[in-house]
Amino acid sequence: MNDMSTTEAPAIALTAIDLSLGAGEARVHILKHIDLHIGRGEAVGLVGASGSGKSTLLMVMAGLERPDSGSVRVAGTDLGALDEDGLARFRGREVGIVFQSFHLIPTMTAIENVAVPLELAGQRDAFARAKDELAAVGLGHRLHHYPAQLSGGEQQRVAIARALAPRPAIVVADEPTGNLDESTGRQIIDLLFASHAERGSTLVLVTHDTALAARCDRVVRLRSGSIETPKPLRADA
Amino acid sequence: MPLAPPPFLSLRLALREMRAGLRGFLVFIACIALGVMAIAGVGSLARSLSEGLAHEGRSILGGDLAFSLIQREATAHERAFMRSRGALSAVATMRAMVRTSDARSALVELKAVDDAYPLYGQVSLQPAGDLHRALAAGGNVFGAVADPALLERLNLAVGAHVALGAATLEIRASLRDEPDRLAGGIGFGPRLIVSDAALRASGLVQPGSLVRWLYRLRLPANAADDGAIESLTKEANAKFPQAGWDIRSRKNASPQLERNIERFSQFLTLVGLTALLVGGVGVANAVKSYLERRRESIATMKALGATGGRIFAIYLTQVLMLAGIGTAIGLAAGIALPFLVTALFGAVIPLPIAPTIHPAELALAAVYGIATSLAFALWPLGRAHDVPVSALYREVVATDIGAPRLRYVGATAVVILALSGIAVLLAYDQRIALIFIGSAALTFVALRAIAALLMALARRLPRPRSTALRLAVTNIHRPGALTPTVVLSLGLGLTLLVTVTLVDGNLRRQFEAALPERAPAFYFLDIPQADTGRFDAFIANAAPGAQLERVPMLRGRIVSVKGVPAEKLSPSAQTAWALHGDRGITTAAQVPDGSRIVAGAWWPADYDGPPKVSMEKRIAEGLGLAVGDTIVVNVLGRNIAAEVANLRTVDWQSLGINFVLVYSPNAFRGAPQTSIATLTYRDGGDAARETELVRSLATAFPSVTAIRVKEALDTFGALVANLVMAVRGASLICILAAILVLGGALAASHRHRVYDAVILKTLGATRGRLLAAYALEYLALGGATAVFGVVAGSLAAWFVVAEVMNLPFVWLPLPALAAALSALAITVGFGLAGTFSALRQKPAAILRNL
Repeated sequence: MNDMSTTEAPAIALTAIDLSLGAGEARVHILKHIDLHIGRGEAVGLVGASGSGKSTLLMVMAGLERPDSGSVRVAGTDLGALDEDGLARFRGREVGIVFQSFHLIPTMTAIENVAVPLELAGQRDAFARAKDELAAVGLGHRLHHYPAQLSGGEQQRVAIARALAPRPAIVVADEPTGNLDESTGRQIIDLLFASHAERGSTLVLVTHDTALAARCDRVVRLRSGSIETPKPLRADA
Repeated sequence: MPLAPPPFLSLRLALREMRAGLRGFLVFIACIALGVMAIAGVGSLARSLSEGLAHEGRSILGGDLAFSLIQREATAHERAFMRSRGALSAVATMRAMVRTSDARSALVELKAVDDAYPLYGQVSLQPAGDLHRALAAGGNVFGAVADPALLERLNLAVGAHVALGAATLEIRASLRDEPDRLAGGIGFGPRLIVSDAALRASGLVQPGSLVRWLYRLRLPANAADDGAIESLTKEANAKFPQAGWDIRSRKNASPQLERNIERFSQFLTLVGLTALLVGGVGVANAVKSYLERRRESIATMKALGATGGRIFAIYLTQVLMLAGIGTAIGLAAGIALPFLVTALFGAVIPLPIAPTIHPAELALAAVYGIATSLAFALWPLGRAHDVPVSALYREVVATDIGAPRLRYVGATAVVILALSGIAVLLAYDQRIALIFIGSAALTFVALRAIAALLMALARRLPRPRSTALRLAVTNIHRPGALTPTVVLSLGLGLTLLVTVTLVDGNLRRQFEAALPERAPAFYFLDIPQADTGRFDAFIANAAPGAQLERVPMLRGRIVSVKGVPAEKLSPSAQTAWALHGDRGITTAAQVPDGSRIVAGAWWPADYDGPPKVSMEKRIAEGLGLAVGDTIVVNVLGRNIAAEVANLRTVDWQSLGINFVLVYSPNAFRGAPQTSIATLTYRDGGDAARETELVRSLATAFPSVTAIRVKEALDTFGALVANLVMAVRGASLICILAAILVLGGALAASHRHRVYDAVILKTLGATRGRLLAAYALEYLALGGATAVFGVVAGSLAAWFVVAEVMNLPFVWLPLPALAAALSALAITVGFGLAGTFSALRQKPAAILRNL
C-alpha cells in the first residue's frame, strides 16, 4: 500500500488527528485535531507537560497507535490503509523506536536483540550488521551479554543500535534518557544526533529536557493534546 | 522490497525465548508426561501381553488347531478326519471332587490327558520327571499330579492316595507348570491331571456330564501355515455341519483373555485420556500465564516489525517443544512399564508378557500428548497474536480479551475433533468412548459456568462489613481472579476422585460385604439324571429346611440367528460374549424365579409342540432377536431350531440359577443330561455345616461336584481386587495431574498475592486478617466446586457401575463426602501454604522493586 507518488512529501504528515483512550466516563480526549508536518532529515523535539499527549503523538507517528480520525502519512505511506500486520512490516522497515525503558528482550543477548528486526525483515547478514551497529555505539565488546548483565546506559545503547540497524527513514525516541543519569544521558543523545547527522534520517524526540530539545531543528510544544506554537529554534540550522 | 524471512526464524526466536528456562512450565511438562505415560504404558503392556499370548499361542492352545466339544466326545468319523490331518491329542476337562480316605474333599479342575499330550511345550513336575510315567496305572491305582494348592488344602504329601469318583489315585508329583494352563479360563479349584484311563475308571463321564473334550492337532511342517489352518477349519465345518464344535487356532488361542485385555486396556486408556484432559487445563494455565509474563517481549517484537502470525508461530514452536519434552518423558516411562512389570512381578503373574518396544502404541500416545497440548494451548496462543504494542508504554489491565481470531478458534476445534475422533475410532466400545467425550465436554462447560456464576454472584453481593470477607469476595471476582482456573482444575480432580471412590466402593461391596440376603450356599454340578430323586432325598435329610432348586442343565452354542450364521453376526459390544463358546441352557415349564416376562408369553405348562425358547431381553436385543424369530443352538452335536416365545429380564444378582436361554420342557427330550442345583439355607448357613455337607455328599455322590458360593466369590473377589488395583493406579495418575494443575494455578497467582499482601500490609492490614481473607476465598471456591464434584462424580460412578458393568449402584455417602472434604482441605491447604510465604515478605524489599 505504499504511496510513492509524493517523493518530495514530508517524512511525516499528520492531518487533523484526533485520539481518545479509555471507555465511558474514563474516556480521555488525548490528541485534539493535530496537524503536523515533519520534513525529511529534520530533527524535531516534542515537549510538554506530563499527560499533554506527546508520547501518544509519537506512537501515532510510529504506527503503534491508530487515531480515531485524521490521516497519518509516514515515509510516503498512508498508515490508515495498513492492517496490523502491514503496520508491523512497515515499522520493521521504516521506523526505528527507542523507548524510555529500553524494552530489550531479556532472553536475548545484545547482538541477538539488535539482529531481531533485521531477521524479521529477512536480512541474511543480520548478525554481521548487528555486530557493526553495536560496535558503532561502542559495545563491540559486549555482544554476547544479556540485558541483565548490562548497565542502564549500555542497555539504551543496545536499544539505539537495534532502532538504527534496519536503517529506517525515521527514528522516534520516547524520553530516551529518562531512566539514565545525566552524563550517560548525554552520551546517548550524542549517539542519536550523530547517527541522525550521518544517516540523514528523520528524528523525533520526546523529552522534558529543554536543553536537549534545543539541539533539535524544531521544537513542537503540546498542551492538553493540542500543538501550542511550532517555532524554529535554531536560526543557523 | 521486503525480503522473505529466513527459514526457521520462528524456531530460532523460540529457542532464544526459551533461555529463560523451563520455570513455569514444570506443571505443563509433568501433566503431559503423566498422561502420555499412562497411555503409552497401558498400550505397551497390553501389546506385550497380546504378543506374549500370540507367541505362546501353540503352547497355550496345546496345538496348531483345537476342536472343543462340550458334553460329548468326538465321533469316530470326526476323530478319523482329525487324525488324517496331523498328530492328535485328546484332553478332557471338568470340575470334580476328590476325597481323602478320611472323607475330606475338595473341588478340583480335572484334566485327563492321553499319551500324546502335550503336543507343544512341557509339563513341569516336582520332583522332576516324565508326566506319563507319573500318570501310569499300577494295579487298580492310577497316577495323578496335583497343583501344590490341592496338597496344601487337603494336607497331603506326594505319595498320598485320594479317590476320584470310583477311581483311586496316587499323587505322584506336584504340578509346577502346564503349557496350556491359560486356555481354560478362571478355575474354581486347583488343577489335577490324570490319564484318560483314570477318568474313565472314575465313572464321572456320564451322558450329559459337563465334560469339555479338547482335540488338539499338530499339523505336519509342510501344512502348518496360517492358510492351511484356515482352509482346514473351513473344511471341518463344511464336512461336519452338526458338530457344534468351537474351533480355535494358535492365532487366537485364548480369545476370551485377549478380549478382556483389550477391553480393560481401552478402559485404562480412557483413564489415561482423563489424566491428559486434566493436564490440558494445566497446559492452558501455563501457556496463558507465560504469555502474560512475555507481554512486553511480544509487544517489543511487534514494535520491531514482527507480525501477529509470526508471534503466534514463535510461541507455538515453544509449546510444541515443551509438549515434545513432556511426551518424551512420558514415552520413556511408558516404554519402561512392561519391562518393569515383568522384572518385578513376572514370576507371580500367570501371563506370558513379552516386553518389547511397540512403536504403534508409543506413536499413538505421542499423538495424544501433542494433540492435547495443542487443543489447550492454541486458544491462549491465538490471543498472543493480538497483544497490542501499546502494552510497552501504557499499563493495561490484564483482562481476558475475548476469543482469539477465527482461525485459531477453528484450529482448536479441528484438533479437539481429531483427538475425539481418534479416541472413538480406537475404542473397544465406541458407545462408551462417545459418552466419555460427551461427559468430559459437559463437565468443562459446567465448570466454566459455575466459575462465571460464582464471579457474578460475588460481584453482586452487598459489600460485607468484615474486611476479611470483603477482601475474599473481591478476590473472587476481580479481573484476572483465580476463580476460573481453580474451579476447573479442582472440579475435574474432585469429580474424578468421587467417581473412582464410588466405583471402587461399589465393586468391593459386590464381592466382599453384601451377599444377597438369600444367596445360595452351594452350586451342585453333574447330578446324574437317574440319581435326582436320591439326591433330593439326601439333601432333605442332610440340610433340613434348606431350599433346593434343581433344573436340567445342558450346554449349547448359538449357531445362527434369524438364518444368519453366528460368525457373520455383528452384535453389540455388550452382547458379543453370548456368541463366544457355549452357554448353559435349561428347560422349564414355569417362569424361573428371579425372571420377569417383558414381551411375548410363557408357554402353557403342558406345551408339547416344536421347541420354543425364552431369552434374556438384553441379549436378545443385542442379537437383533424379537418374539417370533428363530434361533438355532447346537446341543450335543445337534442343531436345534427354536422360536423365541418371550423375552425375560433376569435378576442376576440373586445368584440363583439363571439362564440366557430357557427352552420349553420337551425341547431336549431323550437327550442325555445332568442337573444343576442350588442350595440355600434359610438362616444363611455357616462354614461348619457347609463343610460337613460337602464331606457326606462326596461319599454318597462321588460324581457330583459341589461349589461353595463363598469360595467361588472369593476367587472372583481376588480377581476383581487386582483389577481395582490397576484402576486405582491409573486413577491416581489423574488425581496427581489434578493436584499438579491446582498447585500450578495457585503458584501462578503467587506474584499477584505477594504484591497484594505487601500493599495491604503497608496500609495496615494484619497478617491474621489477610490469612482469614484468603482462607475464606479458598473455602468459597472449594465449597462450591465440591458440591459440583460430588454430584458429577456420583453421576459418572453410577454410569460406570450400572451401565458399563451392569451391577447395582449404591450411593456411598461417606466415601463421597470424604473425597470432597479432602479435596477441599487440599485447596485451602495449598492456597494458604502459598499465601504464608507471601505474608512473610518484608514490604520494603518488595516496594523498592515495584
